[in-house]
Amino acid sequence: MNPLRTLNRIFHALPINLALIIMCVLWIVPTLGLFVTSFRDREAVRTTGWWTIFTPQPVVGETEYTTYCASCHGAKGNALPQANLSDPAIVNKYQRDYQLLAYLKQPINGQPHVQNPALPGNPNQSLPILGKILVYMQKLSSGGAKGPSLTLSNYVDALVGYKGTNSYLQDCASGNTAALLGLNCTASDLTSPAGMGIAMLNSIIVTVPVTLLVITLAAFAAYAFAWLDFKGRQWLFAILVGLQIVPLQMALVPISRLYSAVGMQSTFLGIWLFHVGFGLPYAIYLMRNFIGSLPKEIFESAYLDGANHWKSFTTLALPLSVPAVASLGIYQFLWVWNDFLVAKIFLTSHPVLTVQITNLIDPRGSNWNILTGAAFLSFIIPMVVFFAFQRFFVRGMLAGSVKG
Amino acid sequence: MSTFSKPIIALVVIALLAAACATPTPAPTTAATTEAPTAISSTIDCMGAKSGDTLTLMYQWTGSEEVSANKIFQPLVDACGIKISAESTRDAAVLDTRVKSTPPDILFWPSSSPVSLYQDKMVNMTTDGADTANYASYWIDLGTFSNTLYAIPVKADIKSIIWYSPARFQALGYTVPTTFADLQTLVDKMATDGNVPWSMGFENGAATGWTGSDFIQDLLLTLQGPQYVLNIINGTTPYNDPGVVAAYQIYQKWASDPKYTVGGANGTLNTSFLNAIYLVFQPNPEAMMVKQSGFAGGEIATQFPTLVYGTDYDFFAFPGIKGMQGGADWMMAFSSSNAAKAMVAYLTSAYGGKVWAQTGFDESPNKGANGNYTDPQLIKKAAALASAQGFTPDLGDTLGEPFTSAEWTAIIQVVQGTDIATALAPAAAAQKQITGK
Repeated sequence: MNPLRTLNRIFHALPINLALIIMCVLWIVPTLGLFVTSFRDREAVRTTGWWTIFTPQPVVGETEYTTYCASCHGAKGNALPQANLSDPAIVNKYQRDYQLLAYLKQPINGQPHVQNPALPGNPNQSLPILGKILVYMQKLSSGGAKGPSLTLSNYVDALVGYKGTNSYLQDCASGNTAALLGLNCTASDLTSPAGMGIAMLNSIIVTVPVTLLVITLAAFAAYAFAWLDFKGRQWLFAILVGLQIVPLQMALVPISRLYSAVGMQSTFLGIWLFHVGFGLPYAIYLMRNFIGSLPKEIFESAYLDGANHWKSFTTLALPLSVPAVASLGIYQFLWVWNDFLVAKIFLTSHPVLTVQITNLIDPRGSNWNILTGAAFLSFIIPMVVFFAFQRFFVRGMLAGSVKG
Repeated sequence: MSTFSKPIIALVVIALLAAACATPTPAPTTAATTEAPTAISSTIDCMGAKSGDTLTLMYQWTGSEEVSANKIFQPLVDACGIKISAESTRDAAVLDTRVKSTPPDILFWPSSSPVSLYQDKMVNMTTDGADTANYASYWIDLGTFSNTLYAIPVKADIKSIIWYSPARFQALGYTVPTTFADLQTLVDKMATDGNVPWSMGFENGAATGWTGSDFIQDLLLTLQGPQYVLNIINGTTPYNDPGVVAAYQIYQKWASDPKYTVGGANGTLNTSFLNAIYLVFQPNPEAMMVKQSGFAGGEIATQFPTLVYGTDYDFFAFPGIKGMQGGADWMMAFSSSNAAKAMVAYLTSAYGGKVWAQTGFDESPNKGANGNYTDPQLIKKAAALASAQGFTPDLGDTLGEPFTSAEWTAIIQVVQGTDIATALAPAAAAQKQITGK
């Protein structure tokens, strides 16, 4: 009886469990892929998928090298001291198969260079073989066949806004200033205008004041709508709630016109006001419902004891609505942090993170590997904020949903 | 009530004060360069622009492109003392907001499509001092809308070229084809030799297919000629005309058979267009040729810095092509201020073309550029451009949505093996919807 019941329970729960597992996998796999990719270097990202780091990959040219070259040059290429194939100076003389072919046609001591077995005479067959051998020799001369190596270069490159084809640290080490484009390999690069460092700073400058302003103003307004008795209160509140349906895009052109008339185009003040303006209706709505649902009796007894509105707001309403404030704070913070459109249009001279990420990639997308690092950099701070306040978040999500 | 309204009033007052403080004081900056350069000022007409006049620009150039553009503007800045304030964006939404609130004096954009959107705010290039004598008539035609010249091309890049390795061609005994028949023979010979002729990969995220669209347009220009392509753009020739089908047949064969392209249909669909270039020039090449715009030269040079242009990599014009296909950056004006006129007059003058060529910022359609290039690739590309019988812009870009997506979908389907007539029908319908014919 008992095992049957257990079995029965398992089968009952199976569809739900399966659905949950599938959903989790669907969500997690792409993020995991992006995460793994963010630690792989540019060439690896370009040539193979992230899952290949879990399985050994065949080495290009190993069989060809073993067939034609290993008998004299040795498996590691260093058997002949006068022709050491593990020496980059020798290998780099032959960049392409046709150069190697021309060289191999010269006899050594009156004998053909490659003779046991000989290379196919037809270049249509010999060139592809030599191409693969070249790849293998380049690997030998650059320190042997490397396994999957993980690197932080995507993160570093994104942080300083590096746009070359190697990596920032490599180019700094080799002094390749042409590819560094104005970066000078000192700590000041962390705030270079094209990098994620300065963008993170800009994002913080935009987001923190907006979040604080919205919370403060919304708390004041919410208290007023909930506990102050003034004429037209319900109408005013209804209009305010109705304002939420105004799409932000509608205001872009008029506000842009207004800002350029008063000289606020591309200033922090301009973007603060814009975000606060569009954040307030929802914030007031959420806070009013929460503060309005606090028990009426405690406010009445406070008034009887002689407390004025300011006193009962600061000592009663505000402390009691901490969960709502925290959840509103997270909402507002994430909303402004992730905003692209408003920052793109109203803050052109100080790119925030979302805008800077689009600046990082070159027009043809050849350095898209840098985006993986940039993506994870851009959500470090929201993650910190979320986990710091998440215990309020769950409580706050229900804020105002049940009227007390 | 009054107790808590105070902070709000205070905040509003602070905000207003700050806004007032941020308003720029219109103090004229007379300290700018007022010296009179001798050789240059005789060739640059300032059109009445005074020292300290500001000129606002908008363009898509970033990084090294922006550096080149500023080098080209510098002689004008030196000669007239105007101040340039530029904004770089690739975003059409930003452009739209700016044009509707505070349009830039001059806009540079990689297509003339802003004209159709903002024509009523734009200024006739001729009244702004454009010297049309420096441009081939087909350029002027492309920039003319409702009988008014609204756009002038400043930069061009040709697409109808094929990149290859001269040294590898020589090692294998191949020669550069000069006619389309030669090209077909060469491709078939390579395939019989066991060498894959093409690297056709065209994956590019949501824009997958554009490389194929360039290829097909080159085939159309070769088999039918430039007027045929222009007829497709204006709608008189439907996109499922037998001529188009013929081009698609050749493309289908080359882009989906593993004997003709790396990896067959799957390779074409899944190899990114940049990797497709690298596949031809990497140490163990997988194909002999790649058809790609002029930018491929720069990509090869950055990816494989040890390769030498001219021996390790080079290009030839699409054999037998009857008109060049290319992309151009267009100059459009929203203002007739003296500074804007000075810029238009400068860039369209022969001297402006010369500076453009010497800076080496792709090619300039301005005749003044001829003979002034220093980079060997640009010299060769400019010669191909100058000798072209016509110039056609990209079909898809010019017709715009929904045709562009329909065309790409058709190309992807054709590579996957769909019947050509079936694949082309939606694209032809989209073309009809746009042109109304």
